[in-house]
Amino acid sequence: MPRDDRPERPERSEPRGGGYRKYFAPKRKFCRFCQRDVRGIDYKAVDILKKYIPDRGRITPRRITGTCAFHQRKLALAIKRARLMALLPYVED
Amino acid sequence: MRQYETGFVLSPALSEEETTQLVQQMAEIVAQKKGRMVKQDVWGKRRMAYPIKRFQEGVYVFFTYDGPGDVAGELERRFKQTDAVIRFMTVVRDPRDLVRRKKKKRAEEAAPAAAEPREEK
Repeated sequence: MPRDDRPERPERSEPRGGGYRKYFAPKRKFCRFCQRDVRGIDYKAVDILKKYIPDRGRITPRRITGTCAFHQRKLALAIKRARLMALLPYVED
Repeated sequence: MRQYETGFVLSPALSEEETTQLVQQMAEIVAQKKGRMVKQDVWGKRRMAYPIKRFQEGVYVFFTYDGPGDVAGELERRFKQTDAVIRFMTVVRDPRDLVRRKKKKRAEEAAPAAAEPREEK
């Protein structure tokens, strides 16, 4: 079967990458803070911050969460402040 | 004048009366130093993420106030003297944080809204 005869995949959004990624393009990540249109991140909002610390208690890098650089900086500061106030753990095992 | 936010954790060993008394005392300091209390938030007893001074719980209190910088200084000096305060932190509130982002987008949304009433008239 020639290459051109294959049906076009509608969900393929990114033309780059071959193999697996060619057919199953990764879901586009987006910054949840930009979506909500928030500017500052409060260190007291533990429920929000908790989503960005996996079970080990580390701050999730933005390449995984898709948070924009602006909000990642704010988020990291908020998490560090929350840790000082014992609202979030430094380490967890 | 800047807006500050001071949070502190009180020992869970205090009785309820002592806690309210202490919070009131601290609130008075803000007033004494000519600070204006904006918000006084008492979360009550809450489990801490890790033990501090062998306590597993703490009473969380947050003050938001605006005033001269020495209000925060005086509060922190008092916190250090008081054994019942096990942790405290003062943060300067950035006024820009309260304003929502994407002014451009907001303006676009506002423009058609403003245009519509005119058409009606």
